[in-house]
Amino acid sequence: MICAGIDAGSRSIKAVLFDTERGEVLASGLAAQGVAQERLAAVLFEQLLQEAGLDRPRISGIVATGYGRHAIGFAGTTVTEITCHARGVRRLAPEARTIIEIGGQDSKIIRLEDGGRVRDFAMNDRCAAGTGRFLEMVAARLEMNWEKLAELGRQSRKPALISNICAVFAETEIIGLLADGQPLPDVVAGVQNAIATRVAALAGRLVSPPVYFTGGVALLAGMARALEEVLACPVQVAPRPQFTGALGAALAAAAPNPPGGGRLL
Amino acid sequence: MNEAPRKLSLDQWDGRYEQLRRDGLREPAYGGPLRRHVVREKDFRLQQLQFDNSPAALRLWNFLLTENERLHQARAGGEKIVGAMKDLGTVPVMACALPGARAFYPDGAWWTPCLMECSDKLLQQAERMGLDASFCPVRAMLPAFEHGGHFPRPDLLVCSAGAVCDDFSAIAQRLEHLGHSIFWWEIPRRRHPDFGETACPLPGNLAAPKTQVDCVRAELQRVAGALGELAGITLDNDRLAAGIRAANQARQLLDSLRRAVYGAPAAPLPALEMLVAEMLAIHFCSDRPETIAVLGGLLAEAQTRARRGQFVAGAEAARIFWVNPVADLRAMNLLEELGGRICGSDYMFTHALDLIPENLPPLEALARIALADPMAGPTSDRAARIVRECQAGRAEAVVVSRIPGASHCAREGEIILEMVRRKIGIPAIELEIPPVCDALRPSLASRLQALVETARARRPQ
Repeated sequence: MICAGIDAGSRSIKAVLFDTERGEVLASGLAAQGVAQERLAAVLFEQLLQEAGLDRPRISGIVATGYGRHAIGFAGTTVTEITCHARGVRRLAPEARTIIEIGGQDSKIIRLEDGGRVRDFAMNDRCAAGTGRFLEMVAARLEMNWEKLAELGRQSRKPALISNICAVFAETEIIGLLADGQPLPDVVAGVQNAIATRVAALAGRLVSPPVYFTGGVALLAGMARALEEVLACPVQVAPRPQFTGALGAALAAAAPNPPGGGRLL
Repeated sequence: MNEAPRKLSLDQWDGRYEQLRRDGLREPAYGGPLRRHVVREKDFRLQQLQFDNSPAALRLWNFLLTENERLHQARAGGEKIVGAMKDLGTVPVMACALPGARAFYPDGAWWTPCLMECSDKLLQQAERMGLDASFCPVRAMLPAFEHGGHFPRPDLLVCSAGAVCDDFSAIAQRLEHLGHSIFWWEIPRRRHPDFGETACPLPGNLAAPKTQVDCVRAELQRVAGALGELAGITLDNDRLAAGIRAANQARQLLDSLRRAVYGAPAAPLPALEMLVAEMLAIHFCSDRPETIAVLGGLLAEAQTRARRGQFVAGAEAARIFWVNPVADLRAMNLLEELGGRICGSDYMFTHALDLIPENLPPLEALARIALADPMAGPTSDRAARIVRECQAGRAEAVVVSRIPGASHCAREGEIILEMVRRKIGIPAIELEIPPVCDALRPSLASRLQALVETARARRPQ
């Protein structure tokens, strides 16, 4: 059986085709998010089908997850990111007990039980201070891309102290720090620490190791290390962390009773 | 007249109301179609809610939404109006024990901007009066007092001080500085009796030192004096005892209603109507006899539906225990849309659901119930009750909702969640639900959907 998972996030759409019999991902891809979410997801989905040499009737079920999941009309049902990231990580790392997912719009802490079932979770409130959006703001302010941001962060010797309460205030602080002559690498590392501290506060007492890090922000070198420091425990980046939600959605589509209920196609 | 339970939009209620009228619906004086509250009072939020379709629910909504109108009528009829602030449920029992007096809850104005979708500008006016969004939405009562147009200015304002939240104290003090005289009474922060101290049992499995009960009793004696002076009648023990019996009648009905709805395998009444019904416990929506009639109607409806096997949320719905009232009433609809149902609640005034002891001198009994207020004691006491009730209601998950700017204890949510996780190990989340913010609905829906999924996934296969 081949199932599809589509993770319509706030910044990008991710899709995965998963073969349940062979237990492997047949194709995966990512597209930038936009206004016409369903069309963008459909184009991506068709690309993956082509890549895998499949036609649409071979797909047994499609589950959509993510912020824009309800816009994906061709999906059979919708399931939240909490459930999907848990399923995705359980597949990739059954020993995981905590998942930290930092996405473009929000961040989540998911605690798992033995067997990978969700025990509890917490999500950030409205503020962008603990999310990828904060990093995007900083990257835009510093006129650089994420790769450059990561590279700079690694060069830091003494990370700057930046507020983790409000992304807008923090941006003002960054301008002040740069005007004060603070080295750019220290400012970037300070931003990463601010996000990590915010996420750690959200986690509270939910964190038990092993901890896996998923979501697009996990790709930013330095973020996992910043999280390790504030959580005082090792944090492993999940394989291809940006696709964990989509993989979990595909696995949910393969389940006999999909968590969201309803038809699959 | 009876039809299977379902939820109706305001538009659908227009048709349903006409049908009920044709079928001979009998309504109290405040009855009428729900639509009129949008047209006359500008309660625009009603257009976005889903209502229960029963005549009992119609009566409940009309009762709630005509409170200001009924208060103005009472004033015109010569009745004395008592504004009972902060205290949730004790002073109204006393005020309602006096003939020709009724109590209401000016703090209830915190709901008004949400119901009216800010068309009344109360929050903006409060900002101009120096109380911005960092304060509890109760600040809406300040311009309501100043500019009128909502509730009538009370003949007597009674407000508890001491073990109350800082925001409320600040707002009430600002009110007094604006010239609205307040009769203050003090309630100490409840504490557990020390070793060797004489302990008094309180409702809700609590206890306090006798010295604290004595202190509150003396304070309530002063309140009784002020109320009696207002009404020109001594508020003696006989009147107080009769008032307590009548209040207990309402509380007993509410208890039966909660058992009938929350305790049933599936929900015979929706979460939204239950939230509103529970609110009646605080101040009887300024009419105690009518509160009893409204609750009686809801109970009869719930029992009839349960007998017929008719429900608004099925047995498969995730059983959620809900902590704290929501400012945006749509949250309760949303929970059910996403496959959840309420199996228990703590809307911050659980002491007003407990029976007032009738075997004690009335002021002693009232002092004990006042001290049992969850807001007057440590959050751990509140959390312990929540855990007990979650277990009794077989809750599968807990929601602690917060209103921005409103915090009775900065770490309240965390303490409750921690105790729930530790003692019963069910998923528990904290949600911030602002009074008026349509843009947050998707993220709120995501959180609730995730909770419902998690709760269901944890069921034994």
